[in-house]
Amino acid sequence: MRYLHDAPPELVFACMTTPEHLTHFWGPAGTHTPLANIVVDLRPGGAFQTTMVNDRSGDTYTMRAVYVTVDPPKFLSWREVGSDVLTEITFTDRGDGTTEVVTVQHGLPPHMRTPEARAGWATALDRAAAYVKKLTRETT
Amino acid sequence: MEAETLARTFTALADPTRVAIVARLATGDATVKELTEPFELTQQAVSRHLKVLAEAGLVTRRQEAQARPASLEVERLVEILTWIDARRAEWAARHDRLAEHLRRLG
Repeated sequence: MRYLHDAPPELVFACMTTPEHLTHFWGPAGTHTPLANIVVDLRPGGAFQTTMVNDRSGDTYTMRAVYVTVDPPKFLSWREVGSDVLTEITFTDRGDGTTEVVTVQHGLPPHMRTPEARAGWATALDRAAAYVKKLTRETT
Repeated sequence: MEAETLARTFTALADPTRVAIVARLATGDATVKELTEPFELTQQAVSRHLKVLAEAGLVTRRQEAQARPASLEVERLVEILTWIDARRAEWAARHDRLAEHLRRLG
């Protein structure tokens, strides 16, 4: 996904990699992520962990990841422990004080994104979409 | 979706032949024998791939028929798609909050 931030890349990158910033925006709505619950070891192989706390129940959810590439203020990636999902964030300086941020999450292995795999995969996805449509019809 | 379930599904799909088998099953059930031809695989190799897909919950084998045709578990695919959509929505909301944070800093 693409997002345009009204700040230079250095600041946006810092926000994404500094616990003092992350605590303000990391957790989904209805949760908060206290400063003490954020671990950032900003180097390839370093840990990136956040423990989000549900505002109401106090239940916690921990995201455990390891940084893969750290190239401030242009590129950042980490891989989640357990699911192996890779998150890649590209920060592009637009030269007018704004930064374009592209966030991509790779769950599916790279070869599944080749045109051949996509073609085959599309059939399966079409069928899945049809199934969802059918479910929607049944429940409404 | 549990991280381990997710990882198992992604691992199962981390093989071009298995992706092709999933795509073939999306068009309808097939027996091991039927799957050997398009992929030029031995029945043993097809069975091995189906076992991995079955362990990931992507494929089921019907017990009743002797040929035990394999079926795609469309619900599992839907789960994966839903998960991917949820992740996308999560990041969109996160960037909204970051934008607000940047405004406050500004």
